[in-house]
Amino acid sequence: MSKFQSPLIIIFMLVLWELLFHALNVKWYLLPPPTMIIESIYVNFFSLMTSLAITLKVTLTALAASVIISLCIAIIFYFSRIVERAMMPVTVILQVTPIIAIAPLISIWVDSSQMATLICAFLVAFFPLLANTIAGLKSTDINHLDLMKLYRANKYQLLRYVVLPNALPYFLSGLKISTGLALIGAIVGEFVIGPISGHSGLAYRIIEAGYQLEIPKMFASVVLISLTGILLFNTIRLISYFILRDWHSSYSKTD
Amino acid sequence: MTLRVLTDTDRQSKLAIDQERLIAQLGSINKKFPGASSNALEDINVEVFQKDFLSIVGPSGCGKTSILKMMCGLVKPSSGTINWPTSNFQNSPENPANLSFVFQEPNLLPWMNVYENIKMPLKILEVDSYSADEKIYEIIKLVGLEGFERYYPKQLSGGMSMRVSIARALVTQPKVLLMDEPFSALDETRRFELSQEILKIKKEKGLTVVYVTHSIYESVYLSDRIYVMQSKPGRIYEEIDFSGIDKNEDYRFTPEFHEQAKVVSDSLNRAQHV
Repeated sequence: MSKFQSPLIIIFMLVLWELLFHALNVKWYLLPPPTMIIESIYVNFFSLMTSLAITLKVTLTALAASVIISLCIAIIFYFSRIVERAMMPVTVILQVTPIIAIAPLISIWVDSSQMATLICAFLVAFFPLLANTIAGLKSTDINHLDLMKLYRANKYQLLRYVVLPNALPYFLSGLKISTGLALIGAIVGEFVIGPISGHSGLAYRIIEAGYQLEIPKMFASVVLISLTGILLFNTIRLISYFILRDWHSSYSKTD
Repeated sequence: MTLRVLTDTDRQSKLAIDQERLIAQLGSINKKFPGASSNALEDINVEVFQKDFLSIVGPSGCGKTSILKMMCGLVKPSSGTINWPTSNFQNSPENPANLSFVFQEPNLLPWMNVYENIKMPLKILEVDSYSADEKIYEIIKLVGLEGFERYYPKQLSGGMSMRVSIARALVTQPKVLLMDEPFSALDETRRFELSQEILKIKKEKGLTVVYVTHSIYESVYLSDRIYVMQSKPGRIYEEIDFSGIDKNEDYRFTPEFHEQAKVVSDSLNRAQHV
């Protein structure tokens, strides 16, 4: 039963929304009903999907970049306390400065609007991954480290057999947060910077639809963004499950 | 023949006679941990002889584990010397295959299954995969883990995990096995079962074992020699020699066994009131 609860609640709320729309005589340009939004997705399917593909490409590229770069930086920080102490404040500054405030600057500095949006998404997605991975690397059990020392493991073996696998659950939970953030970063970036190399992503579709008072299309874009976010989040969750289920205590077998 | 409490002169003469069999010698070791106000260990002199079963007995916190960790280079002494005189063991700390350490907890890597955990030391020492497999399956058979190769540590009981831990320590075919209260988390039956197997493996492989424990019975049952320690600061209080005693299967149910346990127990008590 519990498996079906949340979809049922969502369907119930959509039906309620639809009924209230008709009962209270709400203007469609203020709040369109679900059926109108679905219809708009259907009518604008091709253009919306093209935009989605563009946004998704920026999101995933930014995510891949933050994975690679945060892993490299985390490993450097792990082996060098001095570098960590010197560089950590810089990464914190990047994290706490609102992306919406830096986005116009990035758009001035970088010619390609695609690259500029990518940088925005990257800057937002990068920090949770870095912070979590570092925490994971540092949480290595002292007895496991002793074991490696006993057999005179070199740095590569230390990382490969103990330190990186130990950080994996932390990294994956960072990845869950960063995936959502990369999408948000890509949308915010496009809002400020404009269409990506002349093609509209979903953010620009919202702005366009707003100008043209096509309120259902605005909602359609927002719905697509949310759905994409949910899909990405669940993909990462599924990947985490398959990687960790054998050995991690958070996935204990109930049999 | 019964047990003997060794005096300093006894120790000197034994050392002179058994010079050939001496494989490790810790001389006048002091250890002060950073930030501590006094020494944790003071004037520790320990000799390890080939094929010995040597136990170090003492109250919690007396530094038994630190002595063991010094032997394999995990802890550095503040002063004193650690020698591995026999040619077999020259530069022993640089040849990790000669020494293995069994930790208090099984200390398995949770992301590796039983087979991978046992293989891990061989991978670090870069043993080729074919001869590694041969060694691994021999050890798996020896410690009775057949059929568990694909299990992950979280699926194993405490006793099974300890078997994997012992298998991992033995897979490099060490000459000396250092064990740090390895069975303290297990119930009585498992303890006895595993100590029996350790004795069997020791005999079969000609191992030298250095065993740290706070269990008097365990030390009497297993050892050829026992160092009794006093604490604060940790010092060797007395050395007791069991080497002349015949230990058959039922040894632990004989009155002699209990008498000998009493000698060790009395020695421990005296050690705590010096």
